[in-house]
Amino acid sequence: MDFLMKPTLLKDKKFFTPGVIILILLAINAIVFLAFRFFSGLGSMTNLNNQNPWGIWIAIDVASGVALAAGGFTSAALGHIIHKNEYEVILRPALLTAMLGYTFVALGVFIDLGRYYYIWHPLVMWNGSSPLFEVGICVIIYVTVLYIEFIPIVCERFIGKVKLIASLSFLNKPIDSLLRFLDRSLSKTMFIFIIAGVVLSTLHQSSLGTLMVIAGPKMHPLWQTPILPLLFLLSAIGVGFPMIIFESLIASRSFGLKAEMHVLSKLGRMVGPILGIYLAFKIGDMFIRGTFVYLTEINTQSIMFVIEMLVGVIVPLRMFFSEKVLNSKLLLFFASTLTVIGVMLNRINTFLVAYSPPYALKSYFPSVGEISVTVGFIAILVLIYRVIVMNLPVISLPDKKLVHKTKYEIIGGSK
Amino acid sequence: MKKLSSLLLINLFLISSLFAQQNVEPKHFQQQIDCKTCHKCDVPTKDDPCLIACPRVKMLKTYPSPESSPSVLIIKKLEDRYNPVVFSHRIHAQMSELSGGCETCHHYNTLGPILSCNECHSIKRLRDDVRNPDLKGAYHQQCITCHRQWNHKADCISCHELKKNGNKINIQQKIAEIGNKLHPKVKEPTKIVFETNYNKGKLVTFYHNDHTKIFGLDCVSCHKNDNCIFCHDKKDEINYKTLIYDKPIKLNLAESERHKMCSDCHKTSDCNLCHKEDIAKPFNHGISTCWALNNFHKQLTCIKCHKKNKFIKLNNQCISCHKDWTEGKFNHKITGLILDENHTDLDCSDCHINMEFIKKPTCDNCHDEKSFPKDKPGKLIKKVKP
Amino acid sequence: MDRRNFLKAAAIACTAAIPAKDLKANEKFKIDEDRVGVLVDTTICIGCRNCEWACKKAHNLSTEPLEKYSNREVFENKRRPNNKALTVVNQFYNPKNSQLPIDVKVQCMHCDEPACVSACIVHAITKHKEGPVTWDSTMCIGCRYCMVACPFQIPAFEYDKALQPKIMKCDFCIDRQKEGKLPACVEICPTETLTFGKRKDLIEIARDRIKRKPNRYSNHILGEHEVGGTSWLYLAGQDFSKLDFPKLVSDPAPGVTESIQHGIFAYFIPPIALYALLGGIMWINKNKSGEE
Repeated sequence: MDFLMKPTLLKDKKFFTPGVIILILLAINAIVFLAFRFFSGLGSMTNLNNQNPWGIWIAIDVASGVALAAGGFTSAALGHIIHKNEYEVILRPALLTAMLGYTFVALGVFIDLGRYYYIWHPLVMWNGSSPLFEVGICVIIYVTVLYIEFIPIVCERFIGKVKLIASLSFLNKPIDSLLRFLDRSLSKTMFIFIIAGVVLSTLHQSSLGTLMVIAGPKMHPLWQTPILPLLFLLSAIGVGFPMIIFESLIASRSFGLKAEMHVLSKLGRMVGPILGIYLAFKIGDMFIRGTFVYLTEINTQSIMFVIEMLVGVIVPLRMFFSEKVLNSKLLLFFASTLTVIGVMLNRINTFLVAYSPPYALKSYFPSVGEISVTVGFIAILVLIYRVIVMNLPVISLPDKKLVHKTKYEIIGGSK
Repeated sequence: MKKLSSLLLINLFLISSLFAQQNVEPKHFQQQIDCKTCHKCDVPTKDDPCLIACPRVKMLKTYPSPESSPSVLIIKKLEDRYNPVVFSHRIHAQMSELSGGCETCHHYNTLGPILSCNECHSIKRLRDDVRNPDLKGAYHQQCITCHRQWNHKADCISCHELKKNGNKINIQQKIAEIGNKLHPKVKEPTKIVFETNYNKGKLVTFYHNDHTKIFGLDCVSCHKNDNCIFCHDKKDEINYKTLIYDKPIKLNLAESERHKMCSDCHKTSDCNLCHKEDIAKPFNHGISTCWALNNFHKQLTCIKCHKKNKFIKLNNQCISCHKDWTEGKFNHKITGLILDENHTDLDCSDCHINMEFIKKPTCDNCHDEKSFPKDKPGKLIKKVKP
Repeated sequence: MDRRNFLKAAAIACTAAIPAKDLKANEKFKIDEDRVGVLVDTTICIGCRNCEWACKKAHNLSTEPLEKYSNREVFENKRRPNNKALTVVNQFYNPKNSQLPIDVKVQCMHCDEPACVSACIVHAITKHKEGPVTWDSTMCIGCRYCMVACPFQIPAFEYDKALQPKIMKCDFCIDRQKEGKLPACVEICPTETLTFGKRKDLIEIARDRIKRKPNRYSNHILGEHEVGGTSWLYLAGQDFSKLDFPKLVSDPAPGVTESIQHGIFAYFIPPIALYALLGGIMWINKNKSGEE
């Protein structure tokens, strides 16, 4: 490389594009449906009932959301803990994705809770035997950690540049000194939060799998296994890099930037072995418990399982082992998308398809409202991502000026 | 447990005082009962009767005739909500003769006086010993099992009249209304023809009167668990009113259930024993066994000869049943023919060749031109029963 | 970044582990030997549905007058307990006697080791040592994980309420029991299909009934062993799967979930160990790259 990369704000790009307008419409649509949810109860706009208490808000917004935000902790482990400097360019986007992802996980939980205003209860009312408690507590702490990790980026952008509108201009000084204080103290302690973030992620990614173990016989045997937490953790690690690749390629395309193929294909090279381990555990578990017999039956569950394994694991696994794929932007994007879809499918399968409760009169299918809210949330997520990368130094661009040592050794990288 | 035994103790006193007053029923310990049926220890005393807790595994049955039982009972334990129930006891007792008899309701009763339900069934539902249902439960379990089959309802008002605006029913009037009702005599069909799906013999003919009259079976030996519903059904009154037995009927039962009705007694694997192309003739000992029963034997019930219900070929020698009909001891008068002087001293085999008494006796041994029954070796008298 | 900072961080993480002991203590909850239960003898039940009425009355739920409950048409569809009825009676065909359909009352089984209690994120559901499993409105956050966990699919949720929706399930009339009264359904049952008593006595009674009338009962007391035992026990004349009961093993309802949870969080040792390990790796790599 001729130029070193430096996180830059994409200030010169146009915010409103046709795609953005569609996203805004989708977001408004979601908010309309959410009004129903908050004024007339969950029953008014969801297909949830006493047999199917959890729908796509849990399966997609929460479970898949958590899994797909795994890019945050996998990249942190790679960039900070194993300390591979060459991956620095992806650290900030991954952090941002994780931060936004988890924020929306929290929002997904919030709207799904019957008594959303008691969302703070788990902080003071503990039930150690509940995996949900563990997930909840970890997510709450992890979101906080992610925000703390993000503070230096905000500081970098605003220190010495705090300019509020006239009436609030007297606050400029205190805010500036607050940012400086945060920046100073965080630069020394950031490693605590980074390690904590990885530990917390490991814990709740796996506990998310433990969640459905308690459903016992209500779960289809193809998914119901005591090693579900391990499978969830492995698949989360597996989807971390593909998610970064996926999102980085979309972002570069959307902003008309050059894709960081040299970093991305290096990342892609690591995906294959991880997916391999995941596949080995999945297949091994299936044979040890003898559940492959259920594949001979043709029903929704068996078909979904085959799709999940073929499309989501086996095909991308093969692709990530091919040099051609690793060096091709399009194929790499395709392989990453398949992995992302596969893990998402796995979460949906585990939480919805495999869950066949007794006495259900009809099987669950999400309502228009539920789908609208989920789609709308994703739209809002993308919009906020766009706003942030346009206003904060997240995405790295080649810096044509002489490179100077960045101030923030952990986030910005050293040398 | 302690409560229960004390309750039973009180019962015992009550019963014994009843005995003392009436002095009609025999004392229970004088009867042919194994003491261990009710008592745990070898020597029960008045102070420590060591009774086995109710409900016991084995119990004794009493069968007073329904006609001697009370005609109505007034049940009024739930008087606060419902009017008293006037229970037509006698007609129920009559109906029970087709099922378990008195024991259907008076289960686990000792010999002697019939105990009232609240002797064993507590009035309180919240209690320590919940082995037996409480009185309300016991009453309802007895009544509703039949009644819900009968009218397909399980509501209170089919037995209880709701107490509304103080409309008290006139109990006396009710008693008069139902108190003297008696169950009409049950009509007994002669034969029932069943149409079956068996190709090699579509019809099975069941001679009901043969079974009751000739074979001497009691109603309950077949109608073990038939309650009212066997004849009465409020929803479709096909049963006892419209069911005419003059044409073949189809049974709506599982195959095993259908066969069980006969196969409990008729243990055979030969289908054609029951399944025929045509309606079978009533049982005839001569046709079925080649041993036509004569006047005396016709009147006997089957088990008189076929002991222990074993319907196998018996030895047809008279002596196999009539043990004392030996040579010299036999009084020929019993056959309705008094031998004259010339014949009294002959051996049986002189006329009855090879002692085959079923065959016509011969006169050829002594006489040339005489033959039975044209000529008789004595005087015919009115036949006498052995 | 120096060693002292690192140790400090580790110490902070350690303090978080202290409450873990409380969690462990909580789990050592001892259930009462004399806990109460109810024996439901489905061979006695006549399907009068008085229990449904009494239950609604006792829990201040809106209900039709008792007289309307004699309507048999409700049996055409199988019903489940929901937010408007905490118990329902369903009717099944009786192969032994088509005239005598089998009626089965359904409500919370009050498991001895309830999955809902184990699952509840905030401990809003409690197993009382006397038997009942009850739900606390002041704690519940409405996550509905109890409904996912329950092997009998009993808890119901008030989906139609925007504020303070409740988890609705049979509470074994715990308030009535405290007043020395019977549960409402047991009290009203005309046939004493529902026998209220100590669970151990009820099991004995149930065994006795089976022994006495082997033709009437199938030799199985549902709830004696299922999911680690339940306070409500059932007797029936045929296989319970034909009466819409789920087929369950005798392992406690929470299954392996609790062992997984307590394995991962055994006194917070595994998380802290992981933390230390990652810290170590980071430190080593940091120094290495510094030397380069």
